[in-house]
Amino acid sequence: MTTTATETPTQQQEWDGMDTTQLFRELRAATTPERQERIRDQLILMHGNLVRYLARKFANRGEPLEDLIQVGTIGLINAVDRFEPDRHIKFSTYAVPTIIGEIRRYFRDKGWNLKVPRRLKELNLAANRAIEQLSQEMGRSPTYAEIAESVGATEEEISEALEMGSAYHAVSLDTELSDDTESAKSALLDLVGETDESFRRVELYAQLKDAIQTLPERERNIVHMRFFKEMSQTEVAKKLGISQMHVSRLQQKALNQLKEVMMRSE
Amino acid sequence: MNHPHDVVELRIPRKPEYVGVARLAVSGIASRMDFSYDEVEDIKLAVGEACTSVIHETAPEHVALPIVVRCESAPDEIRIDVVNIRPAPRKTPPREAADAPISQLLMEVLMDEVEVRENEDGSAAVRMVKRVSRDEA
Repeated sequence: MTTTATETPTQQQEWDGMDTTQLFRELRAATTPERQERIRDQLILMHGNLVRYLARKFANRGEPLEDLIQVGTIGLINAVDRFEPDRHIKFSTYAVPTIIGEIRRYFRDKGWNLKVPRRLKELNLAANRAIEQLSQEMGRSPTYAEIAESVGATEEEISEALEMGSAYHAVSLDTELSDDTESAKSALLDLVGETDESFRRVELYAQLKDAIQTLPERERNIVHMRFFKEMSQTEVAKKLGISQMHVSRLQQKALNQLKEVMMRSE
Repeated sequence: MNHPHDVVELRIPRKPEYVGVARLAVSGIASRMDFSYDEVEDIKLAVGEACTSVIHETAPEHVALPIVVRCESAPDEIRIDVVNIRPAPRKTPPREAADAPISQLLMEVLMDEVEVRENEDGSAAVRMVKRVSRDEA
């Protein structure tokens, strides 16, 4: 926006007191390009808040607010240039659809509709990570408010992301993956992995190791003798100087505790 | 997935914190139809605006009355009524179309049809329609 020497601060103040309608009259009546420019600038600046207000309503769709304000301002400038004060509608009535139109066009031009909605996907991932982490830290399942705070989103956004984030756009497993080369066509299903049993077993062993550490010493010894040294209950009983019945009870108690610990860490 | 004209009706307290509940419910319904992500967001925004303006217009003696949000999903469009239940109409005359509030202008841009009406029983309602459009985004 340019400033020229012909406009004095006094004139600037004269405009400050004017409402939009008066300014538009001044604008249409202005005879010099410099004066027109100054009044136009004034009108645009006066409605910056309107643009920010509207842009904020679109701020949760994954685009930076600053970008939305910028494209919204383009809409505002267009509205200022095209508005005809004689049509007896308020400028804001004319400007709001123009500004929103520009913001929505911005989303449309991004090809947003065709992509998987990134915001929901990312939010879904972030929320799931937060749930896992918070559960570990607090030893209980976190509330939505806690998840929202940890992720930096609203509770509403979290509910939505958890409800729909992962399944927003259902894609068939038989979808052919686009491939321009001559290579054999593959379907999405071909790429879906399956649970790796040996990995699973490694994890289980690690969990079991930790779980065994939580047992009292005597139970731990019993588990060791029974399942690692493969001794019978009677042999264990003799070694510990207790009855076979007692070994059986302690073994059962130990196994239950292991089960419980491992279920919790799943 | 939708049978023709499935109806979901929601009554929410006139408190800003429940606007999100209405938005979520509508989002759940609209996203099961053939709307794009941006269209669902548009519908949510319009419903949020409608509920918020009801809350703003609420006279102190009417705070206990619920806001009714009624969604009807047809095969090719969603129709949403946001009803401001009131025992009597407002004293002030209906606004001129020329200075419709910004919230209404927003709804009109976001939805295909917006109709504001005052009912016989004193309640007011805004009906919004969004059509499924496959080609024009």
